Amino acid sequence: MEIRRKATAGTMQSSDLLVTVEPARDLEVRIESTVKQQFEHLIRARVEDTLRRHGVVAGLITISDRGALDYAIEARVEAALRRAGEA
Amino acid sequence: MSHAVPLVTSRDIESARRLIESQRLSFEVPFDNLIGIHEGGRLVATAARSGFVLKMFAIDEAYQGGALLGALATELVGLGRAAGHDTFFVFTRPEHAGAFEQINFRLLASDGPVALLEYGGGLEAYLAAHAHLRRPGRNGAVVANGNPFTLGHLYLVESSARQVDTLYLFVVTEDRSVFPFAVRYRLAEQSTSHLRNVAMLETSRYAVNAAVFPSYFLKQRDEAALAQMRIDLRLFGAHLAPAFDITARFVGHEPSCETTAAYNQVMAEVLPEHGVALVEIPRLEDESGFISATRVRDALARGDFDTLAALVPRPTLAFLRSPEGAAIAARLTSSATRS
Repeated sequence: MEIRRKATAGTMQSSDLLVTVEPARDLEVRIESTVKQQFEHLIRARVEDTLRRHGVVAGLITISDRGALDYAIEARVEAALRRAGEA
Repeated sequence: MSHAVPLVTSRDIESARRLIESQRLSFEVPFDNLIGIHEGGRLVATAARSGFVLKMFAIDEAYQGGALLGALATELVGLGRAAGHDTFFVFTRPEHAGAFEQINFRLLASDGPVALLEYGGGLEAYLAAHAHLRRPGRNGAVVANGNPFTLGHLYLVESSARQVDTLYLFVVTEDRSVFPFAVRYRLAEQSTSHLRNVAMLETSRYAVNAAVFPSYFLKQRDEAALAQMRIDLRLFGAHLAPAFDITARFVGHEPSCETTAAYNQVMAEVLPEHGVALVEIPRLEDESGFISATRVRDALARGDFDTLAALVPRPTLAFLRSPEGAAIAARLTSSATRS
């Protein structure tokens, strides 16, 4: 799918994350997290996996995480993508 | 879960004011959004947004340390993004910086009663966008508003450029001046184009303008000017200077003006702590005194182009003679007659 417009999903609450997706030429994932040192690679893997499943090849994805679990990461990224792709 | 809602009725706004004042903060207009969270019909948390600045966070003591700060920030960032901003500042007391860092704000600078934090990675993006201007060496900086660019500015830039490998000329982006940013930038650029070692850039939001600096968290309103100045210098010293190898900041020396003298004294105190020397350059004078943008605006309001020709470089003069310049002159003239 294609990211047509800027969209967000999630919150800044503990155990949640705020995802922003916006159109861009290349695909880039930026991650801010209170648990960045220990878990950035895991968060990134989960985000990239979700992007791949939705066939996203371009866009700037910004994650602001507060220790969210995998299913929350997937759900928030997917919600942001759907909002960004709606006609 | 408690949800933040806009506070619009005068009763809600009054509750917000009481909550803010109960925490020894001041209720400060203007704002674009004022939001709050209610528990059992009572307002327990509030915060506001003014442009890209989030302010007046106040949470009832019984509810602090929980989820309310995150709920307020989420809502304000959402509203701010809808209004076209993607990076946000919060100015607060240093003891509250940690709570904001917990929700992924980044501490940019701290000085005395003020901490400045950012949400949204704007500083990184700003530095990355200007990384192509980086030149290794002994570099200097001039920060100017240029409202508009005068021979005084040019003299400062030329004198400074001679003393360094690369001189970065930062033009203040914040648009609170008669001459809009695009014009101020263009005239500075055209007027200095003969100087090979001058690199131009805009300050973006990384020059803390008095107009965006909130004072709701200060005990005394008259602390605001000094606090704003100091946090601006810390931000410059800690983030902009190291990114461009800047070890000297050049300013015009003006013995007769108290405000400028006070500002330069604060600079001389703060900047060296960040490895940046303050270098004062005597200001350019003619028989009527220092050449300043104020004199240029006065002459423009009078339509006195003979005087203008002696005060500004050719690109500025050409602009002032253009229809766009005439429109600005007309605004200056009408405000001069009104006052």
